[in-house]
Amino acid sequence: MTAPSAEPPLIAFRDIDVAIGGRPILTGINLEIYKGEFLCIVGPSGCGKTTLLRLAAGLLPPGSGTVSYEGKPVAGPQRDVAVVFQDYGDALLPWRTAAGNIALVYETMGTPRAERAERIAAVLARVGLAEHADKYPSQLSGGMQQRLQIARCLAQEPKLLLMDEPFGALDAITRQDLQDQVLKIVADSGTTVCFVTHDLEEAIYLGHRVVAMKPHPGRIAATYDVDLPYPRDQQTTPEQPAFMQLRRTLLEFIRGAET
Amino acid sequence: MTTRLRRVDLRGIVVPAVVVVGAEIAARVTHYHSSSLPWPSEVVTAAGAALIDGSMLRATGQTLLAAFGGLMIGASLGLVFGTVMGLFLIVERLAEVTIEALRPIPSVALIPIALLIFGLGYAMEISLIAKTSFWPVLLLTIAAVRGVKPRLLEVARLLRMGLAARIVKVVIPAALPGIFVGFRIAVGAALVVAVTVEIAANPLGLGYAMMRAQEALRPDLVFAYLFWIGIIGWLINGLLSVAQRRLFGGASRAAPP
Amino acid sequence: MMPRRALLLLASAIVAALIVALWQLVSNLHLVSPIFLPPPDRAWAALLFDIDRGGLGGRVLLTLQHMFFGWLLASFGGILIGSAIGISATARAYLAPTLEFFRPLPASALFPVLIAFFGLTENMVLAVIGFGALWPTLLATINGFATVKPRLYEVARLMRLSRRQFILTIALPNAMPEILAGMRLSLTIALILSVTGEILSGSPGLGHWIMLQARSFRTPDLFAGVLLFGLIGYASVQLVSLLEFWLLRWRGR
Repeated sequence: MTAPSAEPPLIAFRDIDVAIGGRPILTGINLEIYKGEFLCIVGPSGCGKTTLLRLAAGLLPPGSGTVSYEGKPVAGPQRDVAVVFQDYGDALLPWRTAAGNIALVYETMGTPRAERAERIAAVLARVGLAEHADKYPSQLSGGMQQRLQIARCLAQEPKLLLMDEPFGALDAITRQDLQDQVLKIVADSGTTVCFVTHDLEEAIYLGHRVVAMKPHPGRIAATYDVDLPYPRDQQTTPEQPAFMQLRRTLLEFIRGAET
Repeated sequence: MTTRLRRVDLRGIVVPAVVVVGAEIAARVTHYHSSSLPWPSEVVTAAGAALIDGSMLRATGQTLLAAFGGLMIGASLGLVFGTVMGLFLIVERLAEVTIEALRPIPSVALIPIALLIFGLGYAMEISLIAKTSFWPVLLLTIAAVRGVKPRLLEVARLLRMGLAARIVKVVIPAALPGIFVGFRIAVGAALVVAVTVEIAANPLGLGYAMMRAQEALRPDLVFAYLFWIGIIGWLINGLLSVAQRRLFGGASRAAPP
Repeated sequence: MMPRRALLLLASAIVAALIVALWQLVSNLHLVSPIFLPPPDRAWAALLFDIDRGGLGGRVLLTLQHMFFGWLLASFGGILIGSAIGISATARAYLAPTLEFFRPLPASALFPVLIAFFGLTENMVLAVIGFGALWPTLLATINGFATVKPRLYEVARLMRLSRRQFILTIALPNAMPEILAGMRLSLTIALILSVTGEILSGSPGLGHWIMLQARSFRTPDLFAGVLLFGLIGYASVQLVSLLEFWLLRWRGR
């Protein structure tokens, strides 16, 4: 995986304020995400990390300030920005098979019919669902459903992948498995990722950089570079001093934020 | 919550109000009289007249009497058979083919048989309504009785209740919310069958009054009865849904389709 | 488990057969006048005879036509109008209460209204069925549109689906379980209205035919006709249920 460059940012938040129903949710957000970067956002619940993601996705307009993507202000959802939601059960179309859910992307992009089957098979293979193409979401386990949602996002060939606590509802083993898969996919494709989580270790394990947020109102409190080489390893990475050091720092920060 | 409901209600009134007022204005401007579509004001006048001279209320009474009579018979039978079949799985299994064979026969197709046996009048209408309201009560009673928590039945056994006491004191009260859902469906069906039988054959009640108004080329009266039937159906349904909420609380909000 | 189930089904068929046998016995012993209750063997014979010589098949076909085309009309109308209203939350807020008011109205009450427009014609029967059987499908479609999960709206926005694509790929499939349940109900209503319409209009379908049998006290033929109605009712609902099972197989366990 390439290290973040000093080129102009892929997406940039400038002086963002968001209030919903008169209550400030985010205030004074300034953040840049660079091409090829894996950025993780952590923070206690209510710190507005999901709102930040929705701004980037173009699902929510900022109250004030600008969000710019590739130098242009974000006015709405973009085809090359994909979102992985935590509630995979609600985000998939239950009446379509795994292949059908991927096909949705190609239908809306107007991909020629002849190409679709091959591309669907390729995308499903990348997340290890090749044999489950004809199954309906109700026939897949939670982890497989989330892989399917990730596959659907990959089919969009996104430059920016936004992930909103994607593994929060999964068991520990499945979660580790999916973390490694995402890292591998990102390494292969060079996709930029913005990953929201409340799990500190997950954030350190995955990211180049970890942004820590504080609540009431949501704001960015600190940014840490993760000084760990890729590829990372579930066994050895967490044992490295840099990992433990950062974990301690973040833990103290979170404790401080909650009191 | 209440304010939101209010607003939805108000917006729902706009369309019918515009249609009625628009139709009235169009009628008055063009002075066009048709034998099939009355002026809204004529409908109101006709309804007023029929209410004052008592004919509408008499017809309503007849329809409701028939519906009520049939409902009582059908629902009681449904409750008895449903309880037995719910308690004893084997009875339901043995009756399965018979039920599946009888249930799909549409009530209106039985009009000629009922006519043969009872002739015109209340008896034939009541018999058909009873047949109709029997099924939903039967099926939902079976399901509700089967759904009674086994723990409750064990308690009844530990208290050494007899079968009758078990049914009256434990099974039926526990199954009542489900049975009531069946009853609500039966009430709706009873009203529909009553009006249908009256329109198709029986010289009684609201359905017959509508047909007579049609034959007399009184579209105003036909529409007056149409809306009146709608109001009655709506009132009964509203009453039952209030009763359901009062009796069984929010847990049994599942409305019949 | 399975053989026990089959055994019980057989037993319950035997129970049904015993009931028919009892009916035969009662008739043979003249406990009930055969005018009210004809013995089953004579009803069966009448059925075969009427199909063979009496042109009963054609009448059944006509009734099926009324029912099927009326139902088709109601289903298409219900889905189309329902989609048009359902797609807009504003339209739903303005129209849904009015539509809900008409739902409990007995569909047969439309006969006197539509007779005034069409007279006692085939078109009148079709119009009543089309209109009367419309409501379950219409309301189911609107409701199905209203219950699309908010998350799916977001997915649609992120994929930049057009309005047409949204209706076809998300809203309609989401409404499908309800629409199919509505269509099943609508089919039953269509059958009831066919019978009523035929009785009223004298259209030469099965409904009018059983009325004629009753008037001339040909009870075995009358029972044969009623039996056919049971068959039609059973078969049509089974067919829609089959369709439902197939179209909703994604719902899984």
